[in-house]
Amino acid sequence: MSQPRNSYAVGTGLFIVLGFAALVYLATQTTSVANVHQGSSYTVDTHFANIGQLKERAPVKIAGVRIGQVQSITLQPGAEVADVKLAIDKNYDKIPLDSVATIFTSGLLGDQYVGIVYGTSKKTVAEGGTLALTKPAEQLEDMLGKFFGAGGMADNLGGTYTVTADFTNVGTLSAGAAVKMAGVPIGSVQSVVADPVKLDAKVTLAIDNRYNQIPDDSSAAVFTSGLIGAQFVAIQPGGSPDALKNGDEMVLTQSAMQLEDLIGKFLVNGSSSDQKNAGNGTSPGKSSSDKPSSPTPTGKQ
Amino acid sequence: MSVRPVQSSNVLTGSLAQIGNCGLFLLTLLAAIPRSFRYVRETLRQLWFVGAMSLTIIMVCGLFVGMVLMLQLYHVLSIFGGTSASGMVVALSVYRELGPVVTALLFAGRAGTSITAEIGLMRATDQIDAMEMMAVDPIAYVATPRFLAGLIAMPLLCCVFCAMSVLGGHLVGVTWLGIDNGTFWSNMTAVVDLHTDIVNGVLLKSLAFGAVVSLIAVYQGFTTPPTSEGVAYATTRTVVASSIAILALDFVLTAFLM
Repeated sequence: MSQPRNSYAVGTGLFIVLGFAALVYLATQTTSVANVHQGSSYTVDTHFANIGQLKERAPVKIAGVRIGQVQSITLQPGAEVADVKLAIDKNYDKIPLDSVATIFTSGLLGDQYVGIVYGTSKKTVAEGGTLALTKPAEQLEDMLGKFFGAGGMADNLGGTYTVTADFTNVGTLSAGAAVKMAGVPIGSVQSVVADPVKLDAKVTLAIDNRYNQIPDDSSAAVFTSGLIGAQFVAIQPGGSPDALKNGDEMVLTQSAMQLEDLIGKFLVNGSSSDQKNAGNGTSPGKSSSDKPSSPTPTGKQ
Repeated sequence: MSVRPVQSSNVLTGSLAQIGNCGLFLLTLLAAIPRSFRYVRETLRQLWFVGAMSLTIIMVCGLFVGMVLMLQLYHVLSIFGGTSASGMVVALSVYRELGPVVTALLFAGRAGTSITAEIGLMRATDQIDAMEMMAVDPIAYVATPRFLAGLIAMPLLCCVFCAMSVLGGHLVGVTWLGIDNGTFWSNMTAVVDLHTDIVNGVLLKSLAFGAVVSLIAVYQGFTTPPTSEGVAYATTRTVVASSIAILALDFVLTAFLM
């Protein structure tokens, strides 16, 4: 208690100020109250049919390089259109007016961000301007739904006949898995054994007798239902007049694809049917399926 | 008014009597608050001692907790490609659990022990009795200011701890491991809620912990057997009892507040 009065009073005051400053910091910078915009940037309006999981302050990228962030996301009154304001760094003010803003996902489960793919126009978008061409976020469910047929198990497996097919790789296919044609179950896998001579997998398929008109040049492929679902054998009918008979061997086969191949294949074949605003000149349908870093067919900067 | 150590041979009745005595002591403390306004300068001095002097340890520990949390989370989440969520997880776990609990444990070790030892020595050297003889209420002059100081200091310290943890997480995550700065903050702000996480998590919990730790520290000091061995035991008991009380109370509070 022999302390000079002011030394601890100043210390206590500093402590209280620091404590409250920390509280204000927590409350404003790390909660949803926060709405900071960074120094010198200009805003650009975009309209999306679907923003997926895009959040405010998500990055805006060109060629994969961060150039700004999403400032605000609002729903246009009376329309099923999301207004997304982008705050873009003033250093990047040469964005062509016909550039396409697309919502991408970083990785399969990662965060979404806005990628801008350059157009060819000589005019550049100005402060408060609008990027008219956009491409909405792809919903994973839609994408998978397009790629894979509906699931379901074969019912009423009364009489069956068996055919064999050789695969170089069956993945995790096992006995009991479904055999499907056009997405409808028509039988099941009877056995999966390795061929000791040909050194590949010999799969015996038990197919319902009702489906005895399958052309004998049909191909069999091992597919996966969903991203991490069970594998099944899909039969794609050929054009031969002769039908498969009991004990026949299917010559045309396609082995199980690894998940990586599958996604790679999907990304290349991605559909462009559900775009709303895009579509004149810059072929955003094509560019949408590429990575944002890859060049577009027409628009190079 | 004077508080004396509990003497009991039975462990069960002994600890029950301790808890009961502690509760009564709390009532005495609270009743002495109006009388302790006279000694507001003493409260301020205690706030300086338990709060301002604890800042260094709290800040350094907070920084390292945030850093190690981010490091661990990054390596686990990178398996699933979800590293961008690590900032959010650091913030949530620090605000809801780690911040209040670790701050309270550090506070018990840094401030609680010295309160117990100081009051215990006052008791051992008969200063408390001397105060009573001079008609100075030892509860209002010694106990209540320390209790109030702990009550005020804990939430502030906890805020500092949490802020430093988030900065530590940012340091490791963004600067070192390369998580995008905007993603780090946007994920965090999207999930952290002002009411459930900051008010209920940081402020309410740390206030409760501050009350419990200060009460135990002051009570142990006042009931110290007036020997040098007694002071040593009382200091140890402060840390043990505070730690158990903090973790048990944390579970109860979480169950109620979630």
